[in-house]
Amino acid sequence: MNPQLAFLIGLFIVIVALVLTRRQWAPAAVHAVPSVWRIAKITVAEARRRRVIQAVVILVVLILISMTFFSYLSPQEQSRMLISGGLAAITVFGILLAIFIAAFLIPQELESRTVYAILAKPVRRFEFVLGKYVGALIILAAIVATMTVVLVGVLMLQDSLVQDLPDSAFNPNLKGVVFAAIMNYFAIAVLTGLIILISTVASTTMTVISAFIIWAVGSLQSTISDLAAHAELPVTKALLTVVYLIVPKLENFDFRNEVSNFVPISYGTGWEAVIQGIGYTAVVLILASIFFNDRQV
Amino acid sequence: MQENPYLLDTRISGPIYWCDSGGKGTGSSPAFGRHSGIGDFVSKHGGRRQRVASGEIVLQTDGLTKVYRSLFTPVGVKAVDDLNLSVRRGETYSIVGPNGSGKTTTLKILLGLIFPTAGSATIFDKSIADLSVRGQIGFLPEDAYLYDVFNGEELLDFYAGLFGYSKRRRKELVDELLSLVGMQANRKVPFRECSKGMRQRLALAQALVNDPELLILDEPTSGLDPAGRHQMTRLILELKRRGKTILLCSHFLAEVEEVCDRVGIMYRGRLVAEGTLSELAGEPTEIVVTTSGIDAMRAEQITSHSGVLGMDDGVVRIGHESAGELWSVLETIHRAGGKILEVRRPRPSLQDVFVRAIRQDAPEEAQ
Repeated sequence: MNPQLAFLIGLFIVIVALVLTRRQWAPAAVHAVPSVWRIAKITVAEARRRRVIQAVVILVVLILISMTFFSYLSPQEQSRMLISGGLAAITVFGILLAIFIAAFLIPQELESRTVYAILAKPVRRFEFVLGKYVGALIILAAIVATMTVVLVGVLMLQDSLVQDLPDSAFNPNLKGVVFAAIMNYFAIAVLTGLIILISTVASTTMTVISAFIIWAVGSLQSTISDLAAHAELPVTKALLTVVYLIVPKLENFDFRNEVSNFVPISYGTGWEAVIQGIGYTAVVLILASIFFNDRQV
Repeated sequence: MQENPYLLDTRISGPIYWCDSGGKGTGSSPAFGRHSGIGDFVSKHGGRRQRVASGEIVLQTDGLTKVYRSLFTPVGVKAVDDLNLSVRRGETYSIVGPNGSGKTTTLKILLGLIFPTAGSATIFDKSIADLSVRGQIGFLPEDAYLYDVFNGEELLDFYAGLFGYSKRRRKELVDELLSLVGMQANRKVPFRECSKGMRQRLALAQALVNDPELLILDEPTSGLDPAGRHQMTRLILELKRRGKTILLCSHFLAEVEEVCDRVGIMYRGRLVAEGTLSELAGEPTEIVVTTSGIDAMRAEQITSHSGVLGMDDGVVRIGHESAGELWSVLETIHRAGGKILEVRRPRPSLQDVFVRAIRQDAPEEAQ
């Protein structure tokens, strides 16, 4: 079995045992849905009114559209460049927005003290954490979907423009692009959960810094694994192994190379990564709820 | 719609219905007008309120202590020290004290926002850790911390939603609460564009969204202008008249004197005095006679009178123990050609009581 998967399953069992010892949580889970949904909805509504997010999305859309102007490339190169660049833009801006949205969700509520009026009502703290996470997922889904739709539109437009050319080898690879964007969204969802966990115990600045480090390490997990395998010092080996086990393997969600190079996609690998990601996020959110439950606000 | 378990409490008591006084979007504040919404504040299910299981005590703390520790203060700072407090059903209890005396910390513990280091607290005979308690509480935070991008209508809809009300009920509630607090006309104004008074009224409306049995108000008139303070005080008095139990923290002693039945004076985390205003103030210690038309030479005749403590700017003070001499003093004033404008037996103000209470703890600060 994949060591990370085994580790996650073990950790999940421990966490479930922890939760069950907090008896008041068990029956509450059933009734949590309306509160979680209300908090998620207000999180989304609040984000919609903050102009910064809209401005960034418009910027990305403009970048994607401007990529159609590279008409000096051959059609095949053009499609490769459009897919690779477009997916890179979705990944980078998606992750950046995820970091800056998720890192501020809970700390901002604490700082502005809007959390007082909510937690003074019959709302459990885990409902608050989950509501914030679900809200962030909805916002990020809308952002990634918008960017993906624009990229698909750009690819279709370019395809229609060059298809009459002799020997046109333009390949929009739309199915692959959509799959890569979905995988990218799952990577963002995993990272968002982890950021929310960190934000329940750390300051906003520390959360943002940690998120960037995790993103970098998570995108280089196979390198970390190789380094751990070849490390001579036991301490270094142990440290790298811990990092490998704890940090999510974000690179497993990255299908940009396969899609832009028109290599057959291993969908199974992608969905396996999604299942691991869901397990990982569940563990992370349970931990976030436990930490926030004990936090003095 | 999925039912919220905490609606149980509201189902028993029945959600409150508020009559719109007919403000109908006028620019005035119907809630505070002659035929105000407050006056029409009725509960169609008023007779089915939940009973407190044991006696009249609604809120009780037992040795409640909160110590803030940090890396730099391992010993910790005692914000609340062995606090024993009890609030009875239907009464308005005020915690007064200077900044840093532990008032807000106490409220935050009661609301489960922070956790006590020692001691315990119960509300409606249930531990404060029991979440169902919060279904019966309304909380007005100091400085009205609500989401600033939303307007009053959206905010109240959100807070009502946390109690599991249906969409139709939420709409009714929003209309009625906005009418109650005089915000019908400004229901679409974003919170960040509201004046301080409007914000405070919206914050009170969100605290009333579940028709709470117990209202916890943290500095309800903080930052308000005199008109705003007057409106808020009237609203609190009306809620009190309607039988709400109110626990409030305030700096404004005059407001506390106006609305509260009992007062607890906190200082350095401890409850240094507690009681009704008359209990705390005690008996009047002197009789004050306000006069006019007495020149300095004739004033000497008065001040030389036995029982007169002193005279300043036409105001004659007579020791309470010399009350029997009052007629004699009045006669002397009359003979001296003075006019008697007023005779009073002033009770010490809450401010006097407050200063007296903390003087025992820190004479230098009381000065």
